[in-house]
Amino acid sequence: MSNHRILNTRTPRVDAADKATGKALYTDDLKRPCLLTGAILHSPLAHARILNIDTSRAEKLSGVRAVVTHREAGTTPYGVSPARYDETVFCHDKVRYVGDEIAAVAAIDLDTALEATSLIKVDFEELPTVLDGRTAMDEGQPQLHEMYKNNICAQVHWHFGDIEKGRHESHLIRTDRLSSKMQDAAFLEPQSILAETSSSGNLTMWSSTQAPHYIQRTLAMALNIPLHKVRVIKPAVGGGFGPKASCSSAELATCLLAIKTGQPVKLTFDREQVFLHSRARHQFFHTMTTGVKKDGSLAFLEHECVLDGGAYASFGIATIYYSGSLLGGPYRLKNMKYDGHRVVTNKPACGAQRGHGAVIARALFEVQLDRIAEELGMDPIELRLKNVMEAGETTCNELFVSSFGMREALEAVRDSAAWKKKRSSGGKTRRDGKGIGAACGFFVSGAGYPIYRSRTYHCTVVTKVDEVGGGVTVSSGAADIGQGSDTVLAMITAEELGLSLDEVRVLSGDSSLSVDLGAYSSRTTLMTGHACREAALDVKKQILEAVAGMLEIPSETLDLRDGQVVSLAGELDFSKIRKEYLQEHKGFSDLPDAPQLTFAEASRIAFLELGTIIGTGKYRPPPLGGSFKGAKVGTSPAFGCSAQIAEVTVDLKTGEITVGHITGAHDCGYAINVTQVEGQMQGSMMMGMGEALMEQIIYDNKGRIVNANLAEYKIPTALDMPHLDAIIIESNEPSGPYGAKEVGEGAIMPVIPSILNAIYDATGVRIDELPVTPERLIAALRSKNDKREADA
Amino acid sequence: MILPRFDVLVPETVDEACAMLSDHADEGVRLLAGGTDLLVDLRRPIIPQHVPRCDGCPTHPEGRVLSTTECAPSDTDPLMASGGSIRTALEDPRHAAPAYLVSLHKLDQLRGIERLADGGMRIGALTSISEIERSPDVREGWTALAEGADSLGSPLVRNRGTLGGNIANARPAADMAVPTIALGGTLTLRGSSGTRNIPAKDFPRGPGLSVIKQDEILTDIHYPPPVPYSGSAYYKLANRKALEISTVGVAVWLTLKEPGGPVADVQVALGAAGPVPILAESVRGVLIGKVPNEETLLRAARAAAGDSRPIDDHRGSAWYRVQMVEQLTLRLLRAVLKRIQEGQ
Amino acid sequence: MKKIVSVTVNGVLHELAVEPRRTLLELLRENLGLTGTKKGCGIGDCGTCTVLLDGVATFSCLTLAIQADGCSVETVEGLARDGKLSRLQQAFVDHGAIQCGFCSPGMLMTATELLRRSNNPNEQDIRRAISGNLCRCTGYQKIVEAIKAASEDTL
Repeated sequence: MSNHRILNTRTPRVDAADKATGKALYTDDLKRPCLLTGAILHSPLAHARILNIDTSRAEKLSGVRAVVTHREAGTTPYGVSPARYDETVFCHDKVRYVGDEIAAVAAIDLDTALEATSLIKVDFEELPTVLDGRTAMDEGQPQLHEMYKNNICAQVHWHFGDIEKGRHESHLIRTDRLSSKMQDAAFLEPQSILAETSSSGNLTMWSSTQAPHYIQRTLAMALNIPLHKVRVIKPAVGGGFGPKASCSSAELATCLLAIKTGQPVKLTFDREQVFLHSRARHQFFHTMTTGVKKDGSLAFLEHECVLDGGAYASFGIATIYYSGSLLGGPYRLKNMKYDGHRVVTNKPACGAQRGHGAVIARALFEVQLDRIAEELGMDPIELRLKNVMEAGETTCNELFVSSFGMREALEAVRDSAAWKKKRSSGGKTRRDGKGIGAACGFFVSGAGYPIYRSRTYHCTVVTKVDEVGGGVTVSSGAADIGQGSDTVLAMITAEELGLSLDEVRVLSGDSSLSVDLGAYSSRTTLMTGHACREAALDVKKQILEAVAGMLEIPSETLDLRDGQVVSLAGELDFSKIRKEYLQEHKGFSDLPDAPQLTFAEASRIAFLELGTIIGTGKYRPPPLGGSFKGAKVGTSPAFGCSAQIAEVTVDLKTGEITVGHITGAHDCGYAINVTQVEGQMQGSMMMGMGEALMEQIIYDNKGRIVNANLAEYKIPTALDMPHLDAIIIESNEPSGPYGAKEVGEGAIMPVIPSILNAIYDATGVRIDELPVTPERLIAALRSKNDKREADA
Repeated sequence: MILPRFDVLVPETVDEACAMLSDHADEGVRLLAGGTDLLVDLRRPIIPQHVPRCDGCPTHPEGRVLSTTECAPSDTDPLMASGGSIRTALEDPRHAAPAYLVSLHKLDQLRGIERLADGGMRIGALTSISEIERSPDVREGWTALAEGADSLGSPLVRNRGTLGGNIANARPAADMAVPTIALGGTLTLRGSSGTRNIPAKDFPRGPGLSVIKQDEILTDIHYPPPVPYSGSAYYKLANRKALEISTVGVAVWLTLKEPGGPVADVQVALGAAGPVPILAESVRGVLIGKVPNEETLLRAARAAAGDSRPIDDHRGSAWYRVQMVEQLTLRLLRAVLKRIQEGQ
Repeated sequence: MKKIVSVTVNGVLHELAVEPRRTLLELLRENLGLTGTKKGCGIGDCGTCTVLLDGVATFSCLTLAIQADGCSVETVEGLARDGKLSRLQQAFVDHGAIQCGFCSPGMLMTATELLRRSNNPNEQDIRRAISGNLCRCTGYQKIVEAIKAASEDTL
């Protein structure tokens, strides 16, 4: 289907060889002379007033170079959204969760730094805790923050269309619930930071981050340093998935220590600290009431939820919006009411994690659709097909879907998994332990607005041609965190300039290279890809104009293909250029002798004619969304959509669940790199499956995490994961480069509900609490049997 | 992970190792075999007031204590009250931050699977779990032990972990200890004052506590010869298919008087169903002398469930575990009978 | 007091003075600057620190340097020969088995041991062999495909 040379292929990633040989450098691999090691003092208590912090003994410990607390850091509030700056670098008046940062130390080695932290004496006055998100808003509960009355950090109240009208139109109405637990992104590389200052006061910080630009801004703001003197660099990153998209106290502390000591300081999280920091998946409590007409078309959705987001806002103000807004699609829904509350509790703060606030909400809605299908006697996929939107439509909450392969995705999974054959007939009989379930999903392709209120471009790209000719360097602040954005930028540039990937260098993840909002909300391919293409075309134009000028022909007659300049209007006499090039390169061995003018010659001559050739590209979405409060959150220039089928086998006596196969179809608009798109889909399936069946943060009654390690916080192993089939749907998104849009997060949406629906098919029970562990399943089966006996 | 400062002694003989254990008893000395448990236990926590989890603790099922003052021995559990508690171990810096580790890695004489003249088997305590997993002899004659090895951790853990380490750690969920008990294994403990053999079932005293003396080393484990018409099996129930500590583990060993005949002997051992691996003695009364049919097996399984004393913890509730003991015992009894039948 | 440890890493003999509590992982990363082996958790739960110790896939985070004395260690840096990727490394690159790359060194070492031990592992064998190496990016699908392809690739 593709008429492109490099795009839409399975080109290996540009960084794969370095990662396969151990050459790729992650933050903890970096070294600096005179490097100090940092350590953080974390609060052992979930809620307490700080009466006094005595650092004197720590400061006196031999090998300690600096001890910092709020006294050195100041108390400038920061956070993720300017509307909710509720954090300070270090706690000054209170600690609000076990793990809250109180102080930091820089010392000659880790041992000394840790010992120093244990010598810092903090006097606490313990306060009663709030640990249950469901009761955090009740009157009389301890308040975590002055600014959050009743512990409500954010709330959303929307009413689109007319719910009452929807009720009247409904033939069938049902109410269902689903709750989850706080979960962790469990990326394999713990956060790591290396900060260093120059003698002129420039601060450089390397960090395992997803968003150098946002982090640069927060560092400058919180530490009161001019923005232009702060530089954030992202080395290779071992996974992000959301929690690394915002500035952490650890990053601020490490920079502060570097400033204070005048030496470079490195601080790497222990795995336990990754859990203490969290900024991962909120805990969700959803209740949905949905009505459908007799023919199965949706009449209304009334949705209420409470999100437990731990002690600080982090991304939570966006999360609470996403939970509601992304149910506006992929089905036609005229009437939607949403009331959401995001509360704070004395637990590590939650933020954005793959799929953000929409994942558990989508799970409940898709399970509910299945229940509706069952009651109506309709096939669940047919019910969905009946309701899907088409490209060009707008949701009731004013999200415009410019391209939409939802129908194609549903049909693809239905046909590929032999859904009709395997599905038990009529929906009434349950197979003994074997089930198959389906679900859909819907997600943004890049947030429509930046986190801070601004009309800034979301990204810029600067592409420079080597003055010596032959290669180009693409500079971008974009963050390749494993999703492969560097490869995408290289492919786009190579495609437009007719080059091979070896001729394109990508420099990225450095805030000084260009502005890029970072790898979050699945924006990079659509937005940075767009800017990259623009920059490549800019460079191409300049090169061809220089060549055309020298040869005195119109530049429209020239093109760049396969490493050469080709003429679209007959023979090209470029002897002048070749002569000069050969003259310049006397003594060189691999000189051009082809009958065509090479890119190396053309780019070299362009420099000689015009000076350094630099192309720039930029992207910012047009104004999007409605005018109601919070309309901007959930907007996007494009929306991805997915459908999935999961097959499970359940041991009805032990509750053990084995997922046998997952088939997913995702509309990514256009797959720039086919292998990478499949990889994102498969990775999403893994995370979704883990969240459905085994992932949960467990707290004790003192707010301490019981399972802060990868043995007890369970993510699927290779033996748990089944065969994963990824089907790519291409709906050709008009606002995406070459039609491309997201895949990084949208593909997680259908995973949990397709597994839950499959479990229902296999067992006849619905579980309304995640994760569905074997014990939870047995308890549900038991109570179903007890109920049946009682009813008999 | 940050380890406390310790010195590492590397003995070349077992006697040397025992001597090191008694010489340094006052300063704190612990044995290092594979290290997959010890080095994790010794690490300093990020929040200094937190001490590492202690598995199977009946009073702190959530597996973590803030300080040793929170941990008190249970008066109701005879095993716990009888001779010590986790608290003692935690309070004792010689245990939590020993001055010496005695690393056994040079003691090749403690490695190896040896078939004995009488048909029994002796396995050196330092034999890796992987080696046991791959041994055709073990799989054929002492299947439950091979299945324990199959299910333990992951290949990486199995490459490093040792049979002796798994048993000596005395954790109630130990995937090698539970089958060893069902198979009637005997442990050889060697100390400065001599050698003694004790049945594997008598070794653990509480979660992480055993009868081993300060200067003793577990050197090898002896398994009795397979008897005719016998078989064994082990099943580990957990959430994931690798890297898990079991929610419940059951090992069954059974022998018939003759094919199709009554049960001559049976042992069912339960893991993660009490503060130590539990030998479900009640099963014997139900099965021995009876020709096993579905109804008898069900009664036997219920008897095993009745013998179990699991707790609620973050891996599972007691309610669930009791049911699973019954379910798994039933299935394993059926499986072993089938194996015996097919073996004829 | 430090102890002298003699260890051959990727064919090169090193003699180093290390603290007794030094792990093999720290020796590799900090003493020898071989940062290809990663620390994902430090307590044996994730597999990113996997190396081959006398040919056996081992957690380097839970092996004391002293326990490696006299042994031979292979790390990811030693897999390529004369600048050419090993068959397995090339398969990982070609099949998209690498995304963020943090699990890749450990995965490659475990898979290297597997392919030395077994010349025709099926999918289940492969999944079992890498069950101690966690990956959060790929869902394991393309890693399994890469290892299978490398095992079938005849020279």
